[in-house]
Amino acid sequence: MTRATWCLVLAVALPAACRRPQPGDRLRGLSAAERAMFDSGRVVFDSTFTPEVGLGPLFNASGCAECHEDPVSGGTGDEVERHATAFHPELPGRACDELAAQGGPVFQDSVTPALHAALGIDNEAVPPEATAIAARTIPDVFGFGLLDAVPDSAILAYADPDDRNHDGISGRPNRFFDGRLGRFGRKALVPTLREFNDGAFQAEQGVTNPSVPDEGTVTGRPLPAGTDPAADPELSARGLELADAFVRLLAPPAPQRLSREARQGREVFTSVGCTDCHVPALRTGDSPIAALRRKEVAAYTDLLLHDMGAVNGDICLGLATPGEFRTEPLMGLRLMTRFLHDGRASTPEQAIEMHAGEGAQARDLFRALPPADRAALVAFLKTL
Amino acid sequence: MRPLALLLCCVAAPLLSAVAQQAPHDSIRGAVRVVNVKARTLEVTAGVGMALRVVRLQVPAGMPVATRGGGGGATLTLRDLRPGDVVRVSYGARPGGYLAYTIERVGRMDVGPEPTP
Repeated sequence: MTRATWCLVLAVALPAACRRPQPGDRLRGLSAAERAMFDSGRVVFDSTFTPEVGLGPLFNASGCAECHEDPVSGGTGDEVERHATAFHPELPGRACDELAAQGGPVFQDSVTPALHAALGIDNEAVPPEATAIAARTIPDVFGFGLLDAVPDSAILAYADPDDRNHDGISGRPNRFFDGRLGRFGRKALVPTLREFNDGAFQAEQGVTNPSVPDEGTVTGRPLPAGTDPAADPELSARGLELADAFVRLLAPPAPQRLSREARQGREVFTSVGCTDCHVPALRTGDSPIAALRRKEVAAYTDLLLHDMGAVNGDICLGLATPGEFRTEPLMGLRLMTRFLHDGRASTPEQAIEMHAGEGAQARDLFRALPPADRAALVAFLKTL
Repeated sequence: MRPLALLLCCVAAPLLSAVAQQAPHDSIRGAVRVVNVKARTLEVTAGVGMALRVVRLQVPAGMPVATRGGGGGATLTLRDLRPGDVVRVSYGARPGGYLAYTIERVGRMDVGPEPTP
């Protein structure tokens, strides 16, 4: 190549390499095989299921990207789901009943025409045993592969269930039913991204797969005959693997360049105690994927449960009481239009104002800030 | 009647074990939800992600509940299991429901699995 050709190549390649990752981009540093998996996985993620190929009979959406759509596949959405459980704190051992025998904790909002014809229903009824029904908004899933690669030990290092350091913050882990540490979901029930994805095909779309080979029930009752025409599994092992690869390899949104005000806001964010739970960065451990291995992820979460106060409480899940929620990752916050687990807040300021329980101290300090500092903190959040 | 019942248990337990080895079986690892000693049933919550399920198992009389640690661990019975115990159960389908073949208690949900020796 001549010098002129090299210059031309550099002129084209350098800006592309320096470009900040955009929502929907894949992680940098993937192998050719991983890039191919990502691209093929996007096709599965974007696909739409019909009853003939596995949708339903109960479902919330006909495809992953129907909800995770804004601004691109893998992003957020405006749907709100219903989750319901029963909390019995007087019972020793397992105070939470996830209502799994009655179709819970995800109660689907839609049914196929065949199920409607058979039962005359438009959605899955929440059983009377439920003590609470929760609204759940759609999170984006950018950077979730990095969260999956954070070692359990790194999460547990932030746990302080008895608040031994007397800072008013007492994060504790949730655990799945087999005892493994949970981290995904608003209550941190699910241990791994793979399980979260595999389970979502069944719980959200009614699509059976090798990991979840059986259709759910209709509030605990078996499906009427003839309402599920597609043969199980409705998604192949390869399809699952590809969809998982797409989600796993999505890059986290790159924080925007900090203005002077946002830099000041970052300081305020720390000084009022937000970082006690919204830990700025976690470090991944070993991974078979080099792009996930020993990387820092600016997730702004500790992936632990914190008591957010009875005022914010809804359902229990696993070990999480109604008032406990996993610290919401703030990466990608600028892409959100609704905030908190149920979307009650329409601005970051409102979300801060609604913090209670362990978040009350930071909320009160935020309230007491001079207006310029409050604005700076919000300006910082809007860069994430 | 009691000696007869004991004799039946002694005969039935090895037979059940033999049947378990021959019959197609599945396994589940999850948290005990309900123990009904009188009805000899056990309900276990498990699942994948947010797709959860409860498996209701019939537990044969006299079936021991192993503890992690094998020979070094104490042997328990159904009566000793508590909600929140993490168990690993192998089981098979029978007319009328699922039958447990083996049960091992491997930890508590709130503290995680016990280390493997």
